[in-house]
Parts: sequence; C-alpha cells; structure tokens
Amino acid sequence: MDRCHLTPERWAQIEELFHRAVECETKQRVSLLDEACTDDPELRREVEVLLSCDGRAGNYVQVAVRSELDAVGFPLSGKTVSHYRILDGVGGGGMGLVYRAEDIRLGRQVALKFLPEDSAKDALALGRFEREARAASALEHPNICSIYEFGEHEGQPFLVMQLLEGQTVGELIHAAHGQPPLGLNQLVDLAIQITDGLEAAHRQNIIHRDIKPANIFITNEGQVKILDFGLAKLARAVTAAGDDSERDHGNDRNTGGLPPAVMPTADSDLFLSRTGVAMGTAGYMSPEQVRGEKLDARTDLFSFGLVLYEMATAKRAFKGDTGAVLHDAILKQVPTPARQLNSNVPAKLGQIITKALEKDREVRYRTVSEMRADLEILKREMGPRNRFRWLFTVAVTVIALIAISTFFWFEKRQPSTAVPPNIKFRQLTINSSENPVSTGAISPNGKYLAYVDTQGIHVKDIETGATQTVAQLKDLKKDSVNWEIIDADWLPDSTRFLANAHPANESSDAWSSRTTNIWMFSRLNTAPRRLREHAIAWSVSPDGALISFGTNTGKLGEREIWLMDSDGEQARKLFDTDANSSIGGFLWSADGQRGLSLKSDPSGDTLLSRDVHGGPPITVLTPSEGKQIRGGFSWLPDGRLIYQVGEPGSGFTDTCNFWTMRLDQHTGKLMEGPKRLTNGTGSCITSANATADGRRLAFLQSSGGHDTGYVADLEAGGKHIRNPRHFTLEDAYDDITDWTADSKTLILVYTRGDHYGLYRQPLSGDTPEPIVASGKGGLLEEAFVSPDGKWVITQLYPIPGGPSEPNKIMRVPLSGGAPELIFNVHEGSTFFCARPPSNLCAVAEQSEDRKQVIITAFDPIKGRGSELARFDQDPAFDPKAGPLLWNISPDGTRIVAARSPQGPILIHSLRGQPIQVIKPKALARMRLLSWAADGRGLFVSNLTKTGTEVVHVDLRGKTQVMWKSVGGPAFGIPSPDGRHLAIDTSLQSANMWMMENF
Amino acid sequence: MSATHEVSRLLAEWAKGNQQALDDLTPLVYRELRQLAASYLRKEYPGHTLQPTALVHEAYMRLVDQKSPAWQGRSHFFGVAARLMRQILVDHARKRQAGKRAGHKVSLEEVVSFQPERSRDLVALDSGLKALEGLDPRKCKAVELRYFVGLSMDEIAQSLDVSTVTVRRDLRMAEAWLLKEMQSG
Repeated sequence: MDRCHLTPERWAQIEELFHRAVECETKQRVSLLDEACTDDPELRREVEVLLSCDGRAGNYVQVAVRSELDAVGFPLSGKTVSHYRILDGVGGGGMGLVYRAEDIRLGRQVALKFLPEDSAKDALALGRFEREARAASALEHPNICSIYEFGEHEGQPFLVMQLLEGQTVGELIHAAHGQPPLGLNQLVDLAIQITDGLEAAHRQNIIHRDIKPANIFITNEGQVKILDFGLAKLARAVTAAGDDSERDHGNDRNTGGLPPAVMPTADSDLFLSRTGVAMGTAGYMSPEQVRGEKLDARTDLFSFGLVLYEMATAKRAFKGDTGAVLHDAILKQVPTPARQLNSNVPAKLGQIITKALEKDREVRYRTVSEMRADLEILKREMGPRNRFRWLFTVAVTVIALIAISTFFWFEKRQPSTAVPPNIKFRQLTINSSENPVSTGAISPNGKYLAYVDTQGIHVKDIETGATQTVAQLKDLKKDSVNWEIIDADWLPDSTRFLANAHPANESSDAWSSRTTNIWMFSRLNTAPRRLREHAIAWSVSPDGALISFGTNTGKLGEREIWLMDSDGEQARKLFDTDANSSIGGFLWSADGQRGLSLKSDPSGDTLLSRDVHGGPPITVLTPSEGKQIRGGFSWLPDGRLIYQVGEPGSGFTDTCNFWTMRLDQHTGKLMEGPKRLTNGTGSCITSANATADGRRLAFLQSSGGHDTGYVADLEAGGKHIRNPRHFTLEDAYDDITDWTADSKTLILVYTRGDHYGLYRQPLSGDTPEPIVASGKGGLLEEAFVSPDGKWVITQLYPIPGGPSEPNKIMRVPLSGGAPELIFNVHEGSTFFCARPPSNLCAVAEQSEDRKQVIITAFDPIKGRGSELARFDQDPAFDPKAGPLLWNISPDGTRIVAARSPQGPILIHSLRGQPIQVIKPKALARMRLLSWAADGRGLFVSNLTKTGTEVVHVDLRGKTQVMWKSVGGPAFGIPSPDGRHLAIDTSLQSANMWMMENF
Repeated sequence: MSATHEVSRLLAEWAKGNQQALDDLTPLVYRELRQLAASYLRKEYPGHTLQPTALVHEAYMRLVDQKSPAWQGRSHFFGVAARLMRQILVDHARKRQAGKRAGHKVSLEEVVSFQPERSRDLVALDSGLKALEGLDPRKCKAVELRYFVGLSMDEIAQSLDVSTVTVRRDLRMAEAWLLKEMQSG
C-alpha cells in the first residue's frame, strides 16, 4: 500500500491489528488475521509485512546511526593522504586519531597516527618530535613497534607506524576485571620480551620515558611491541602535563597507544619549563621524573616495575585522584608487596618488582639487562618453557575472514557473462594501482605465488593469504634492480624459484641477457644465490634438474638457448639461431623431453617444438597462424597449450583472451586446433603459468584506469625522483598540464561530456581555484602559462560528433575569466611556450603534404608571428595516433623534435648552431618530449609493452627511467625551478589472478 | 559560560512557545554536537562504536545551566538534540554518498576492508522517518529519541509525556514500519 494514501484511520487500523498480532501466539496469528481481514486482503498484506520486520528493525537502525557517528568522528576514513589510503578509524588517544591505512606504494597496511592540531603550531615541539620520531624509527627490534615515516596532512603531522593486531597490557588488565590477567608463564614470557625491547632502545641511548600498560602491546601472536618511543616528549609539549589517575586502564588505548588527553594540574608546566625534560604519564612516572630531574634509562625500569606489578596483581602500585597525590605517593610510599595481593606471585618475582621500584635509582637495577637476567633465572626456576598460545585462535580467525571476504569479491568481479560456465577466477594479489604487480608465478603444488611489485619479490601463501617478502629492492642496491619472475620459474619442490635481475633503469622492452643475471630464491628465506650472469632465465624442467636460459643477444633478441643444472653448473648450449632472428622462451613438456620456443625474424613469430636431445624443430604455428598470439604460454600435462590472443582494444592496450590447443607431448605436433577459452579477460599480460597438475593457472591481469596526478621532488641533477605524492583529487581532474613561472602553482584541466574546466592549484594547497569553471564549445587537453605569466593558453578541440570546427588556440587570464580566440589551427597541431625571460610561444603544424612540420612563433595578444623552423617528418606518422613530437627549450633558444615515435631525437638551434642528434636506446614509442628546467635533458614519455615510462634522457642519449605506469599514459612536467616533477598519469591496477576448471 | 546561559534561556523561551528560540538554539547545539562527536572518540575504546547517548548527555551538561528549573529544559533539549543529531548524521551520510558517487568506483580495498557501508541505510532511514512524521509524529519523535539520543524507554516516556507502555508499543510499530520502508525503498 502506498504510504502517501494512508489515512490516519487506516494507519490506526494497521497499528491496532499489528499490536494484536504481535501480542498473541504465533499459532493464533493466522486465525486472528483470517478473522480481521476477511474483506480486506490489503490490510492483511500490510500487517504481515510489518510482522516479518518485527524484532529485527531496532538493531538495524542502531547500527546505521552508530556507524555514521563513527564516520563523523574519523573524518579521514576513505580519503587518501600522501600515499596512504585511509581505511577506517581504529582508535583515538588524547594525542589524536589513529587510522588503519594502506600504504599504496608498498601495498601494506599501516597505522596512521595524527597528532592534534595544536602540535602543529609549536614549531620547536614539532621539530623535536620529528627528531625523536626519526631516532625511534631507527629502532628496529621485534619488540618495538616500528615507526615508518613522519608526514603532514593539511598542517597536521602524522606518524606512520606498523599496524598491530592485538591489545595493550592496559586493556588486558582492564578486561580481567580486577583479577590477575595472566598466567605466570605468560607473564614472565611477556616481561622478558619487554626487557628485550627496552634493551635494544637503551643500547641506542633512547629512553622511552612513558612506559605504562597502554604503551605495551601484545599482538595476537603473543609478541610484545613497545609503542611510542620518543613520543613522551611531544606529549608533554603539546598537552598540558598531568594526570590520568582517574581513568581506567584501557581508556587511552589505540593501536599506537598515545597518552590520553589529560587534565592540567598545577605543577605540570613547572616540570616542563624548569627542566625541559619530557615526562611520562603521572601514575607511571619514576621518582626522578616526578622531581623533574635529568633522566636516564633507569626511569624506564621503574615504570616497567610498575607495569609488572600491575600485570602480577591487577592493581596499581600507586593510587591517587590527582597528579599531586600520585606524585607524592611515588616519592614517598612503598607499595603493598605484590605477593600480598596475589599469593601466586613467586618470591623471586616479588623481589624483581621490588628492586625495579627502588625510589633511589642508584639502588635500582642498573640496566635492563640486569633485570632481564633475573627474569630469565625466574623462568628457569619455573620449569619448562610453556609459550602461550592463548591468542592464536584470534589471528587465525581474522585471516580466514579476510580470505572469505576477498573471495566473495572475486566472485562478484569475474566477467561472468562471457566466460565458459565452469571456469573459476580468483584474484591472488590485491595490490593497488600505485604498486602494480609486474610478474608472478604459481608454485607447482599450487600453494604459493611468487610475484614482483615495485617493492620487491614476495611469496604469498594462497590459502592463508600470508605474504612474505623475500627480496626488497634495497636488498641489493636501492633501485638498482627490476626483478622478473618468469612463467615456469619454480622448482618442483615448490620451495625455490628463479628470478631475473634486470637493471632498474632499463625499460622492460629492452630487457636482454646482456644486462641480466639469474638468481635463485627460496620462500624459506635462505639467502638468494646468483646462478649466472649475462643470462635470462626461461624455465625450470618438470623434474627440477635443468634450467633453460637465453643468452647472446642479437639484433632482435636472444640468439641462443642454453641449459644448466639447477645449481647453475654444467651450462651447455642447446640451440642457436642466425643473426637475423632470435629465439625466446623454452616451455618444457610434462615429461621433460621436448621444449616449445618462439622464433622471431622479420617475417614474424614461429612457434617451434624441439627435442631436448637434439633433432630438427617442428613448426607448431607459422607466423601467419600465430600473428595475434601475445604470449602467456603454459603447456599442461594433458598436452594442452594455453596462451593469450590479442585483439586491438581501445586506448593504450589491446584486449586479450586465453585460447587453447592440444599438442602431442612426444612429437610436439598440433593435435587439436585452437579454441577460445575465455571471453573478455581484459588487457594483455605476459605472466602466466600453471601448476604441475595443470589444474590452476596463474596470470597477470590489469584493469580500471583513471586519470591522476603526482608531484615528486627531483634530485641527482634531475635524474631521480623522490617522494611522489598525489596532487590532484582523484577523478576530479584529468590532467596536470603546466606550472606557473614561480613553480608554486600547477595548471589542471578536465573534460566531462561537452564541457571543460581549467583550474590552478597551489603546490602547497589542495583546493583548486577555477580559471574557467565550466567552459563550453570544445574540449581541452593542453594548457600552458604564457611566459609573461598573464595568460593560460589552451587549444580547444571540436567536440567529437559535434559541428565541424577548426581547432582554436585560446587565451584566458591566469586570474580567471572568459576564454578568447587567438587564432585557428589545423587538427594535429600542438603548441608550447618557453619560460621567462624568453617570451616565445610557438605552434607546430604539419605542412600540406605532411612531410614537414612548421614551427611558427605566436603571441597571446598579437597572434601568429613568423616561421621559426621547419623540419622533416616521417610521412607514415599519423598525428591522430599521437601528437607531433617537439618542444621549446625553457630559454627559448632550441627546439627538440623527433621525426617519428621511434626517434631519433633532434635538437634544432634557433641561434644557428648545428643540429644535435640524440639516439637513446629503447625509446621506440615516444609520446611526449618535455625539457628539463635547466635545458640539459629531456623527460620523454615512452610507451612500453605494459604501460608508459617517463624517461630522463640527457643530451648524450643516456637514459634513466623515472616513473612507470601500468596500462595508461604518463607524462613528466618539470617545474621551472627544476625542483619538482609533476606526473600526469593514468593508473591501472595489475594483479595476479588464478583460473581453475578451464 | 555564555553559551550555557544562552542555551538555557533559549530553551526556556522555546518552552514558552517562542518558535524563534528554536531557530536560535539550533546552530548552538549543532556546533556543540559536532565538536563533541569529533572529540569524544578520543576517549572511547576503539572497536566500540560511539554512543550517541554519551554524546548528547555531555552536550546537555555543557550547554544547559543545571541549576535552573531544568526538567522541562532537559526534555526540550533532548528533543532538539535528537533532531539535530539526525540532521548531522544524515547530512554526513549524504555527503559521503555523494563523494562515493562522484568517485564512481569502489576500490578493492574498500570492498575487502569490512567497512560497513551504512551511509545508504541512514539516508533511507531518514526518508522513512520523514514519512512517519507525516503519519504519526509521536512515533517519529520516539524513534529519534531512542536512536539518535539513546534515551531509555522511561526517559522517552517522560519526554513525550506518555506511559512507558505506549512508548514500547510506538517503537515496536515504528521500527517494523521503518524497516519495511527501508527494504522496499
């Protein structure tokens, strides 16, 4: 019934019957409704629906309200801060809010702890805090919570820390409701771990100063993590010092456990001003801390003694309602002996606590090591080690939940309509678009996935989701290596696997054995071993005895296939090809007797099968038959060959699908013709391999591009970038196009439907200001600031499908205003401007016969000027496929241009100097040339097999890859002062997936 | 504090039937609730969701002069607070939804991070309450007081000047009807 037509009478009628129905027994309801609704089926239906909702509704409403309230309280949930995607709030202490976040570059979860706004205003405190935090972050110890980074978001400083699952000792005590929370074995075990962590810090001369139950965290695995080293100082500086005595133990809990918001007390400022020394939380201070004396490591021992006391007795050693009373107790009172409060406390433990709580630090334990030694003796006396597992079940449950929810997501996302019904897809990695997976392989037993992302090599346990990193980039030398895991790289023991180490600055298109080394890794984390230099691993034989690799790079690629034993010895050449061709890959048959390779020559690719012991190769597919094959080969034990076939897609990447054909294992001959296996898998990939039983096939898949922008710092003479951070608000803007001359503001454009927007956004701010908020009559791509800084010059393209109009070069005041036409240009023209003091802007247009490009100067007010230069262009170059490749040097004296996307790059002088030719290696599909701010190099956007790279090219042709995007384009736009590089890009995520039942 | 004085005065004015007083009261309470919602979390246990009860009671303590003949004021205050809390949360939920829509993609992380997506529920609840208000204003008020302020049945009864039994019946009917509305909408 429509509620709009409910009369008050009808409403009363429904309510009356509803109440009668809920008040009678379920059995009688039917007869009640039968009777009451004899002539009114609608009434019956209405009441029946209400009855079906009865009892469930309250909870539903309550959950909705509380969740939203949480969202109000954790305003950053769902936002991206720097390179952290904030997932949800996990706690709040007096020092600010703590969020769970994903580090999108490293693909790991972290805790982000925001300091309160006040702290940002005190520069001195902040500086001290940062120094301390950095010192503490140097503490790498299993019993200390790691601090990864210090950052700032809208003036609010935050710490990035290890995300922990578990609870603090404070919560543990709180939850025990006055009973001792721990068994004796557990207690001693934890105590020893705490001393381990303190020992490590004290060795580095770092004192915690605020040891208390809320700062000692126990993970679900039973591991102690001491929180907040170095934070006590800031705590004191930014909150009024004081007293938490009236609070419960768990009150200030958060994953990081900052001190709670505390009420000011009379003496707090005194401590701060008199000594400048930071203090701990009132109830857990040492006497010397209360007195405001200079602190040493022994202060932590006293505080730890208090924690131990509480762990053993569930009672605080010192009580008091105010800071003053507490302080007095700490200075003068002797606590009730722990054994009197809990008779299970052994005498030895009582002694340890007493010695830690000596008021005179000279009588106390001198070092934490001394205290630890006593705890060890106690442990030995207590008998066999009985490490607790009480929290283990929690951890397992959490993992199981993650696995389940992740799996549901896969089910939803798989392209269900087009795929043969039995095929199952499952996503194996969940890397974000900023940390794409580049290669990966599933272990022969199907249990593990080895994969490479921007951080290094990881091995994931597919069932539990547990992931370990076996090689980080910095393990060798930072940024020196690009790892590649080739399809069939695992040894049959599913423990070891191979990886190729390529130079990091080399484009993946240029990978060759010349610069590649083969390494062997183990998921058991034994040290990786370099097996061979100048070789590129292709596969491991099914019995694990042999490794095939390519070597001797020729014009088109590797020319030789070699085999070696799995320990890297006994290398011998299996096959070579002539100078005008190359041979790639070696896929073993299940019996290890044959191999498949792809031979490439100018006519195309031929798929060959060959006996490992020699004899002539058999052609499986000719170049014309294999024209659309993109790789991703797997040869299954049942003889089926699975591979990817590409069809031209829209945009930057083709669409690929898996196909299958059956080969005779023994003869290598084609038995059963190609058959399509999937429909609409998506973009093409290079990584695919199957398990030993052929039932699971892992492959790389990318998806979901969207435009975004970054700003990074340039260093090393502009050849490296550091600290790239998101600049544009995701989705709101399409492109970063230019900087203002002062390098302080960026120009952003977007197009939506038939209108465009042009904005400027200060580097230091995050609110774009409109130059043109909603422009009509065309679409924008380019927008450059005129050298005089007064205008933004843009090119307006006709709307596709709209009236046929010329492209227009327009000017808009930088401060905002209406766009005005400067002059019309042909389709395919592009323009650039130099930087002040030069005032040159110029447009490049193709000559009528398309053989030349003509560069003409122009002025934002006066319009077209004189011709500056003209140069030849590859007539095959279609400007629709990509823009004309050229640019003006910042000083306006030179023009860089490329005849075609393959190069070479020519530098034309406008001052009569000779043309300079640059032939950088491996830049075969250039899309944009930008000048470095100092005019000594170029930033070139170059398409690769998997995406786009921004490559720094110096004027001698030496290249350095600076940025890689997967799938979409990426353009580098340096700031005029040479300090920053804006990166206009589009992100696609790339992850490993698994296919079953195919 | 002047805010306290002001709120008490306005409550008294409103009790006398001055509708302008409610308009003046609204921004004062709104601001206080928002601030409290943000700061209150810091004292809460993580993993436990924020309780509106605690929030509104604290706002009451802060804003209303306790020494004034307060019962009527208290009742009025909770009435205002309930409406405001609903407004704050629904506005927030709408904004979040709008943000999501503008983003028009949900990242994998969001999907797998167990983040309950309740903003939609709350917006649906709000439109249900609007309809309920037209049909039966007292029931709508009871739901607001119960869920947006967290008053007990007895407190709601006092506030609405009806018996506790009536409040229970009202809520039972109202909740069932709201869930029905939310499910069909």
